[in-house]
Amino acid sequence: MAGYILKRLISALPVLFGISIIVFVIMAMIPGDPATAILGSYATPENVEKLKRDLGLDKPMMQRYFIWLGNMLQGDFGRSFSLNRSVLDEVLDRFGATLILAGTSFVLCSILGIAAGVVSAARQYGLADRAITFAVLLGISIPSFFLGMMMILIFAVKLRWFPVSGMWPIYGARDLYALISHLTLPALSLAVVATGVIARLSRSAMLEVLRQDFIRTARAKGVHERSVIWRHALRAAMVSIIPVLGVQAGFVLSGAVYIEMVFQWPGVGRMLVDAILKRDILLVQGGVVFVAACYVIFNITVDVAQSLLDPRIKT
Amino acid sequence: MMAFPKLLARNRLALGGLIVMGLVVVLALITPLLPLADPDVTNTANRFKRPFSEGALLGTDHLGRDLLSRLLWGTRLSLAVGFTAAIAAATLGAAIGIIAGYYGGRIDNIIMRGVDMLMAFPYILLALAIVAALGPGLMNALIAVAAVNIPFFARNIRGITVGIAHKEFIDAARLSGMTDARIILTEVLPNVVPVIVIAISTTIGWMILETAGLSFLGLGSQPPQADLGSMLGEARSALITNPHTSVVPGAMILIIVMAINLLGDGVRDALDPRLKSGALSRPMPTTMVKRTMPVPEAKAETLLALRGLKTQFQVKDRVYKAVGGVDLQVNPGECLGLIGESGSGKSVAALSIMGLVASPPGVITGGAVYYRGEDLIDAPYEKLRSLRGNRIAYIFQDPLATLHPLYTVGDQLIEAVRAHHPFNKTEARAHAIDLLKSVRIPNAEQRVDSYPHEMSGGMRQRVGIAMALANDPEIIIADEPTTALDVTVQAQILSLLDDLRRERGLAIIFITHDFGVVAQVCDRVAVMYAGRIVEEGPTRTILNAPAHPYTARLMACVPELGQGRRELAAIQGLPPVVDKMPKGCAFAERCNKASDACRQANIELVRHGANSLVRCISPETSALEASE
Repeated sequence: MAGYILKRLISALPVLFGISIIVFVIMAMIPGDPATAILGSYATPENVEKLKRDLGLDKPMMQRYFIWLGNMLQGDFGRSFSLNRSVLDEVLDRFGATLILAGTSFVLCSILGIAAGVVSAARQYGLADRAITFAVLLGISIPSFFLGMMMILIFAVKLRWFPVSGMWPIYGARDLYALISHLTLPALSLAVVATGVIARLSRSAMLEVLRQDFIRTARAKGVHERSVIWRHALRAAMVSIIPVLGVQAGFVLSGAVYIEMVFQWPGVGRMLVDAILKRDILLVQGGVVFVAACYVIFNITVDVAQSLLDPRIKT
Repeated sequence: MMAFPKLLARNRLALGGLIVMGLVVVLALITPLLPLADPDVTNTANRFKRPFSEGALLGTDHLGRDLLSRLLWGTRLSLAVGFTAAIAAATLGAAIGIIAGYYGGRIDNIIMRGVDMLMAFPYILLALAIVAALGPGLMNALIAVAAVNIPFFARNIRGITVGIAHKEFIDAARLSGMTDARIILTEVLPNVVPVIVIAISTTIGWMILETAGLSFLGLGSQPPQADLGSMLGEARSALITNPHTSVVPGAMILIIVMAINLLGDGVRDALDPRLKSGALSRPMPTTMVKRTMPVPEAKAETLLALRGLKTQFQVKDRVYKAVGGVDLQVNPGECLGLIGESGSGKSVAALSIMGLVASPPGVITGGAVYYRGEDLIDAPYEKLRSLRGNRIAYIFQDPLATLHPLYTVGDQLIEAVRAHHPFNKTEARAHAIDLLKSVRIPNAEQRVDSYPHEMSGGMRQRVGIAMALANDPEIIIADEPTTALDVTVQAQILSLLDDLRRERGLAIIFITHDFGVVAQVCDRVAVMYAGRIVEEGPTRTILNAPAHPYTARLMACVPELGQGRRELAAIQGLPPVVDKMPKGCAFAERCNKASDACRQANIELVRHGANSLVRCISPETSALEASE
């Protein structure tokens, strides 16, 4: 097992390398130069030249890439000019909040999506199936940011069950209860789309499995139908559901951008949008690379989970 | 392909989506012609007018601009951007995918590596990075959304192209001297287009959502121009005081995307052949029963008796009569062989006993199955479940497919025991090991923790048998248990089954198409053809002197060792299609003794000799011969 994890980690290195190249190339396409962007259009040409030298912008592309990569590997993601702060410090500060939001959403959408898919498949064409199919269609069609706004209107403004926005109360204790009450609406809004996608896939994966011969064997043994569905069929269907969970984790992680904007959640997504609008390139670059790298690591975890679940995969 | 619009029309939800989408598109197209207020003219005196107020049907926004007008212009913009992004992504993605799939080798390798890299990014993050580089703006948002969708199209289309690139007609085109470019355009592309259309129809909703999202974040369309996303973004600050400014554009996005998704699902379903055949429907826990005729009485007290059993498969408008009235009975300790060609209905008859025929499409339409005088057809689920694997157990063909691939054989045996007995895990495990020993699996203590894929075919079949024996049943129904095995293993399994039968006094129904197997283990044999029994009797009688021409011909197909150069007589023609059964004898078309009388009316199964039955008006043997 340890060998397998190591192998997967090593195979992730070229992917991480590729990600850094893609981000660098995209950022190098920027028209105009960052020095002018930082200093503003009234800066003197001498000052712009000096800053360019300081930032290393006068060097050739190739060299700049390796300097940037080398610095990142040493934990130096550069300095954000708009915040006047180390990029890595800022990203790390923000990433915790995003992780709490996206992680909660991911757990929610996995459990709800799989459960809905299984029930839907088990009662194919029945009332529950129709209701779930309709809810799923609604879920994958509604923009998460619009859903978030409607949730605020109904559950925060009208019913006053939850706070309107933020991660912590302005006054009062920062305890678990406060976090959960602030987290509920954003996490639900973020989970809805992914829940729909997972439910759909789980349903079709279950239907595929339910026609397999080993399901008939289980029934022929006299195993109770509940067990046939939730033990035999779901276990086999998980093999094709888990990769989808990996993809949806990516959607939840990056879709958090919208939800963080709607709910004023102090995460990486909001930081990125602000940085883009202020043209704070180093902050965007650092944030994107960091989140993408985390996602790659998460996908390795998914692969490992898959190999634990399916003994046919050689570890 | 011709039936496609019809199929789409039959799907009412998809049709609804099509109508809504059509309306929205028409509205967007005629927006410039409508008598609307200028969407960008501000009038702060009239800000935040409620919907249905005078002069503003949907009210006004924070700058007093008419919301209806802004909504329609915004819809126009959002649709234009979404469709353009979809077509751009599809065109570029398909081009990349076709090139990678068509040329293969290194080109394919390099391109797909790049695609994998791009797909390693969380989707929206990549779009953000692109917008960050290009700067905020609707055009740039369009480029970003199209760009992040290219890998998806490229990968899909590449897969299809790889399949096509190795087909004969492509080789033929190459040999005829056509250039690669021409082959791609005239041979590959037309075959890929339907896939591209499906991919567009399922992703365009996403693209509209994503562009709206970027605009919502302030990275897409810039004021005063507004698409639906930026309308929603601007309205956010007034969400609590004036929710209608948010609800109007938000609901519009929802309606558009939902209509597109409904339509996309309809397109996908219409093009998916598996849905038409019903191959994606879930089999119920027991076979559906719809008996129209009176239920036949149990005759004498027997262990298991089938009386006039009829099982059909109902697929759309067609009815396949797989089992057309079968009578059989098994006594304690007896081995009954059920023999016939593939498709003769022998497996379906056997599965009907415990309601295991996949349903839909299977339906039991008549007859009865008496187990100790009790009718199992129509028995409640819990009753059937308590008998399944407990009193009547099955052994299936091909144990690789019939054992669960992800549980150890021990777990599966333990489960079989615990389904009917309140053993704790340790007891059940000990019992599982005993079972493995009883089917002569060496190292049973270690083997119990193996997965099915770690065992050989013969070992797996032994596990299948152990599972059937788990609860000491009275009857075992063995459905071609040795067909997937090689000859030496087959002999071992047969002698194992025969020993177990003698030790435990089991009754066995042995389904096979192999007379050699029948001769080895069966006391009595029933021959099935086109869903009915055509001959039944003691094994020796039937093997020595088959009475039905079909049995005789079937046996003539079997090569015998040591018989020298005997001519193998394959039976001409094919069995009748079971949705178009002839009126008279089903075998008449292939029988060289057939006369007009054979085709005119149903032929009954009648007594022939002392212990046999035959469904033929001119049997091969006299009744006297059959009695010997």
